[in-house]
Amino acid sequence: MNIGIGISTEKDTLQAAKEAVLQAKKNIKTAKISLAVVFTSIEFAHINTIKIINSLLHPVALIGCTSAAIISNKGIFKHGIVIMLIGLSEGEGVYFNAASVKNIDSSNALVSGQKLGEKLLFGFRDIRRDLGIILSDGLLEDGTGLISGLQERLGRSFPLVGASASDNLKFHKTFLYINEEVVSNAICGMLWGGKLNFGLGIKHGWKPLGKPRRVTKASGNTVYEIDGAPAAKLYEEYLASGLDKLKKELKRVSIFYPIGIYIPGEEEFLLRNIRLIKDDGSIVCQGNIPEDAQIRLMIGTKESCLLAVKEAVDEAKKGLFGRKGDFVFVFDSISRYILLGRQAHQELEIIKKEFGADTPIIGFYTYGEQAPLRAISYQGKAYSHNQTITILAIGG
Amino acid sequence: MPVLGYNIVAMLWLAVLLTIISLGITLFIKINKIEKLQKAVDSLKKSLDEMDEQAKLIVRTDMELNKTQEELDKKITGLYALQRLSRTIATTLQEDLIFKMIEPGHLEDLGFEKACGFLWNDKEKKFLPYLNIGYLENEIKIIKSAVDADMGIYLDIIKNERTFSSISYSQEESYKQRLNNIFGVIYFVIAPLLPKEGNKGFLFVGTENTDKSLTEGDEELITILANQIGQALENARLFEKTWRAQQDLEKKIEERTRALTQALEDVKIISKRKTDFISAVSHELRTPLTSIKGYAAILLEERLGALPPAVRERLEKINTHSDELVHMVNDLLDIARIEAGKTIMKKEEQNLKNIIANVADLIMIQCKNKNINLIIDLPDSIPPVFADRSQIERVFINLLGNAVKFTPQNGEIAIRVKANDTELEIGISDTGIGIPQEALHNLFQEFYRVDNPINQQVKGTGLGLSLVKHIVEAHQGKIWVESALNKGSTFKFTLPLK
Repeated sequence: MNIGIGISTEKDTLQAAKEAVLQAKKNIKTAKISLAVVFTSIEFAHINTIKIINSLLHPVALIGCTSAAIISNKGIFKHGIVIMLIGLSEGEGVYFNAASVKNIDSSNALVSGQKLGEKLLFGFRDIRRDLGIILSDGLLEDGTGLISGLQERLGRSFPLVGASASDNLKFHKTFLYINEEVVSNAICGMLWGGKLNFGLGIKHGWKPLGKPRRVTKASGNTVYEIDGAPAAKLYEEYLASGLDKLKKELKRVSIFYPIGIYIPGEEEFLLRNIRLIKDDGSIVCQGNIPEDAQIRLMIGTKESCLLAVKEAVDEAKKGLFGRKGDFVFVFDSISRYILLGRQAHQELEIIKKEFGADTPIIGFYTYGEQAPLRAISYQGKAYSHNQTITILAIGG
Repeated sequence: MPVLGYNIVAMLWLAVLLTIISLGITLFIKINKIEKLQKAVDSLKKSLDEMDEQAKLIVRTDMELNKTQEELDKKITGLYALQRLSRTIATTLQEDLIFKMIEPGHLEDLGFEKACGFLWNDKEKKFLPYLNIGYLENEIKIIKSAVDADMGIYLDIIKNERTFSSISYSQEESYKQRLNNIFGVIYFVIAPLLPKEGNKGFLFVGTENTDKSLTEGDEELITILANQIGQALENARLFEKTWRAQQDLEKKIEERTRALTQALEDVKIISKRKTDFISAVSHELRTPLTSIKGYAAILLEERLGALPPAVRERLEKINTHSDELVHMVNDLLDIARIEAGKTIMKKEEQNLKNIIANVADLIMIQCKNKNINLIIDLPDSIPPVFADRSQIERVFINLLGNAVKFTPQNGEIAIRVKANDTELEIGISDTGIGIPQEALHNLFQEFYRVDNPINQQVKGTGLGLSLVKHIVEAHQGKIWVESALNKGSTFKFTLPLK
């Protein structure tokens, strides 16, 4: 697998796109480009950016999205474009298919997921499926439905890893890059198969604190009652603050103290950020919480956060069985970016140190991640995660 | 077998009784155990509750810590941004580039995403925009007209030299609201730009982010930034001014130099013409003079017959005047030759003591006639000089002759020599009538004669000192005079050693 990465922090769209493409082209050792992956900060979300990239590259396929900051070997940048070019050679027996579905809303999420699954499978019937990677609009309502629909069609015999686009922390609008288009309300994916080697690690580093609690009334991503009391009471108690104050500080509270769902056999709790606190005391989470689930209040520190990165990297490396990855995808939760603040670059330092400085790294900050849980025997089912860092090392 | 049956029944009863007793004991022990367990559970539950309470404390403390850390992080990021910005701004000496150095990234690190800068234009009597971050072109136009409409507010900011912001208490809420609407923000800071040189203005920064909590620290940071910009503007303007002034000066110097060079060339041409003229005229004069002198001599020798006394007297006068004229023409020719560089000084190692002794002998008779005391004050050893002996003797004879001429009976003339590492300084002083101050300046000019009673009586050409000056200068020496009226004069000249 031939890989070339290019990055630019130029302010001018034309200049930035050109610089990033030319760098990537210089770094890739083949003229045949099978796929281009593009992540940019929100100000580049313009049709011109994609037009320039396409005109300079003529790739077989292009996918990507916007983010609050982009991640590459060269650092983490709030403003910029990073491009990775992948060139597959015939003999290596690795195949991929890219596809997308647009105009998604809460009413058609499941169907849209199914549709994407069908599109991805087209021309993939006789090839062993190894890995699915999904990028989605970060502000889509029903992420769970999409993933369910997708997995109905793709099957659950292989892991599906997803990350949703972000914007400049305004939660206003996020965009996907799909071939020659810049779109919202959409999802795109890649299905990889054949003889693909990869290793996946996903961790958060938050630890449970206080008494175990039980969700006594919940539906979808809304929790009404915990231990028979209004759900928000949990936070009111722990933070000793009223509902109004809590609402004001929701962003901080949600990042620092998410809810953790206990999963038997799993080392880490599955985290849920709080998106909204309603006046009746119910809380809306980012991702579903089942009724009767055992939950805990979670606490994280910068240290535990960084330790989790090392653990995720170790797990990903385990999956490669000692081989060196051709490149590494990093899907990092926006919450971690906010929590780590000026130390955000330390995550990248750990990844670079573990994989070697010359291994290409590309990634972005997400508004949500999807990945399977290790403890569940059929590895394939993808769960919605919050606050995690996903390390996906591919190739070798 | 009744007894056997009885016994069996009794044993059964006994067994039952024993079982009941042992069951009772077991039950008692179990109940006891349950009670203990219940107590343990209660105590565990209590511990758990206590731990939960502790957890609450931990969460609350952690929350406070996080908030503080966040604030600190923001401040540090802001300070870093300010430092970076200050460094870039300070390197600019072009006014129009200063505002362009401020980038959205800097502003973002300071916690704002919108900024504009206006400078007052004295000619147009309005504010003109110089900086725009986060606004579209038409938005800045609308802001500009709003600023023009409320110009007094912004002029006050400059006049009062005070930063104010959304958290400044002194302003009315409605007033702040108005600014929020004009600039399309929720929080803002306005700081004056106060360069000491040229037009002043103001810097506006703001944010739409509701999460932002504006603090006094923000106000301070923006004030510092505005001061930096003000200073940079001042530097740029001063530089521009200095640069312009220097350009003007250089131009003027160039013009003057050109004029002076031209004047010098003209002077050289005139001087050469004069020298050529004198040289030509002197030569032309010498021939007829020789004839006049020759004929006069023949007549005086009475080869053409005896002369009546009246004729002889007239002829002798002709002879004397002719001699004077020849002398004068010779001096003129010498000056002309030296000026034209035609006279080659035959420089050889000379002992000044010998030269002085020689000329002192020559002048002694004249001194004795007027009873003048001639003092020769020389150091024990005088380093040798490279000079043309006959020319230097001329210098001494001329200067000593003048001294004798202007020194009254019983006066005093002194020759003094001082030596240093590079030259000899020779001084010839007299106790004569002195030279008036206004005459000193022209003394060494050709044909200049000081207006005094002696000069009116004694004839002279006014060429002597000029010739002396030319000779000294041809030896790379200098000559000057110090004099006080009625007290005497001192002529000094130098001769370089080697």
